[in-house]
Amino acid sequence: MKMVLSQRQREELNKAIADYLGSNGYNDALEAFKKEADMTGEMDRKFGGLLEKKWTSVIRLQKKVMELESKLSEAQKEFIEGAPTRAKRTPTEWIPRPPEKFCLTGHRATITKVIFHPVFSLMVSSSEDATIKVWDFESGEYERTLKGHTDSVQDIAFDHHGKLLVSCSADMSIKLWDFNQTFECIKTMHGHDHNVSSVAFSPSGDIVYSASRDKTIKAWEVATGYCIKTYKGHREWVRMVRVSPDGTLLASCSNDQTVRIWNADTNECKMELREHEHVVECVSWAPEAAAAAINEAAGGDNRRANHTGPFLASGSRDKSVKIWEVSTGQCLATLVGHDNWVRGAAWHPGGRYLLTASDDKTLRVWDVAHTRCLKTLYAHHHFATSLDFHRSLPYVISGSVDQTVKVWECR
Amino acid sequence: MNPCSIPTPQQDMEGDGRWNSIHNRFLSDAKGKDADVIFIGDSILQALEHTEVWNQWFAPLHCLNFSIHKDQTQNVLGRIKNGEWDHVDPKVIVVHVGTNNVENTAEEICEGIIEIIKTIREKHPSAYIVLPSLLPRGQYPNGLRDKNSKINRLLHEKVSNINKVEMVLIDKGFVQSDGTISHHDMHDYLLPSNAACRKAFEPIYDLLQQIWSEGEPEKDLTPSE
Repeated sequence: MKMVLSQRQREELNKAIADYLGSNGYNDALEAFKKEADMTGEMDRKFGGLLEKKWTSVIRLQKKVMELESKLSEAQKEFIEGAPTRAKRTPTEWIPRPPEKFCLTGHRATITKVIFHPVFSLMVSSSEDATIKVWDFESGEYERTLKGHTDSVQDIAFDHHGKLLVSCSADMSIKLWDFNQTFECIKTMHGHDHNVSSVAFSPSGDIVYSASRDKTIKAWEVATGYCIKTYKGHREWVRMVRVSPDGTLLASCSNDQTVRIWNADTNECKMELREHEHVVECVSWAPEAAAAAINEAAGGDNRRANHTGPFLASGSRDKSVKIWEVSTGQCLATLVGHDNWVRGAAWHPGGRYLLTASDDKTLRVWDVAHTRCLKTLYAHHHFATSLDFHRSLPYVISGSVDQTVKVWECR
Repeated sequence: MNPCSIPTPQQDMEGDGRWNSIHNRFLSDAKGKDADVIFIGDSILQALEHTEVWNQWFAPLHCLNFSIHKDQTQNVLGRIKNGEWDHVDPKVIVVHVGTNNVENTAEEICEGIIEIIKTIREKHPSAYIVLPSLLPRGQYPNGLRDKNSKINRLLHEKVSNINKVEMVLIDKGFVQSDGTISHHDMHDYLLPSNAACRKAFEPIYDLLQQIWSEGEPEKDLTPSE
C-alpha cells in the first residue's frame, strides 16, 4: 500500500511535527528539523497538539468504524433475509429478535442471573439488591419477591419439577425456597468461607452443587442440608458450576483461567481445560441435539470427524467462547466476535445455535456449525450479565447491570 | 512534617459519619468486583461518576470510582493505606486530588500527590497511573486557581520521568478570554458539568483506549486496492 501526501498535507504534517518537537522540549531536534524542512516564522496555533490528536483519533475512528460496520451488516441481513412470520417459525430454528417483548423493572441493583421455570410460564431473576423476583414472562407481570439473603444474590437454579429453587449469595449462604406453595425459604446452608458464586441441582433433584470464591465446589444433600462432598483443585475463585445432563459430571470455571471437569460421585478432577487467556465466567453443557452442528464445526475438511461428546461451551473475559469435547479435553471450536467480557451462555434447545451475553451490552446468536455470529441483539444499556432459553417455548430472557430484565420472543 | 502526606481520615465536620460509610462501601466493592480501572480522588472525579460521559466512556471498561466529595490528599492516602487497594488488580489507576487542600501550599500538596503515587506503586507495581491535571476553580481569577496551576506545573516536572505514570493536561478550555469560568462548565464554579466532563476527560478516555489497544493486533481500515 502506497500513500501519497499532497504538498499542502506535507506542509501541515511538517508543522505538526515541529509543534510536537517544540511542545515536548526536543529543541535541538526542532532546530535541525526546521532547517532541513526549510520552515520559517512563527507556528500557527492551529497546529498545537495536532499530531497527538491525529494519532489518537485513528484508534477512536477504528472503533467507531467497526461498530458501524457490524450494525450495517446486521441491518442488511435483516433487510435481505427478513425474519419468518410467527406462523412459519419452527422450534429448531427460531431465534430471539428485537425489539424485546417486555422490559421488566423493579430490581434496585445489577441483575446477576435470569432463569426460566421448567413448567409454569414463570421466570426468576436474582440481583445484587439481595432479592429474588418472580415474573410471568408471557404477560410481563411481576409476581413476587423472595427476601432473605443479606448480600448480593449470585446464582439461582430450579430442580427439574420446578418445586424447589436454590439460591446462593455473597452473604456466604445457600438457600432453598419452596416453589410449590409457600414461596418461603425452607433451608439455609452454611459452609463456604467466602462469596458463593454459583449453584446447580443434580438431575435427580436430591443434591445441590455450589461453587465459591473460597476456591472449592461443594455438594449438599437437599433432604438434610448437610455438605456431603468438597471438590478441591481450582487455584482461584470458582465462578460457575454446572451438572451434565446425565448427572455424572460437573463442569466448573474459575478466575484461574481454567475449566475443570469433575466426577460428581468421587470428587476426582477428570480434566483441566486450559486455553482461555482470562477469567472464565460461564459454562454450559450442550444438549444432545447439538452433536451434529459441533461435529460440523470441528470437521473442517475432514468430514469424518466423529466426536461423541459430551460437549461443553465456555465463555471468558478474553472475549471468546469455546466449545469443548469433554471426554478428550479437546477444544473443537472458538467463537470470536464479542467486544468485551462474555458473561453468560445458553444453548438453543434445537442444538444448532449457542446464545451468549456479554459486557459489550449485546446478546449474540452463534451458528455453531459454521462458527459464526448469526445475529447480534443490542440488548441493554449496560453490561448484559445473563440469559436463558426456554426449553420448549419461543422465549429468551436476559438480565443486565442496567437493572432491567428483558423478555425476547423468537421467530 | 507535611500534613498533606500524613494518612488521615476526613474530619467528620457534620457528625453523620458518612466518610467512613463510603470508605467501607468501597472496601466491600473492591473485594467483590474485578475492576480493570480505578478512579480515586475528590469531588471532581465523584462528579464524573454521575455524568453521561461516565456511562458512555468509562463504565464499559470495568471501572470502579473510589472518590469522595471534599477529600484531600492525606484522606486519599489514608484510604489507600487502609485496605481499599488490597483486593484489586487494576490495569490503570486514575488519581485526581489536591484541589480541596485549600490551606496547604502548592509544594506541600504536590508532595502529598507524589506520596500517593509511591504508595500505589508499592501495592501495584505494574499498573499505569494516570494523573489528570487539577481543574481551575472560581468564577473569577483567584489564589486557588493560581495555586492549582502551580501544582500542575510542579507535578508535571516531578512525574515526567517516572515509568508508567502519565500526567494528562485537562485544565485547558475552561477559563474564558475575560478570565471567568462559565456556569455551563461548572455550575458551582468547582464541579464540572456533563459537558465539561466531556471536554476535560476526553484525553483520559483516549489514553485508556490506547492502553487497551496495546498488544492487540492492529486492524487495517485503509485497505489498498
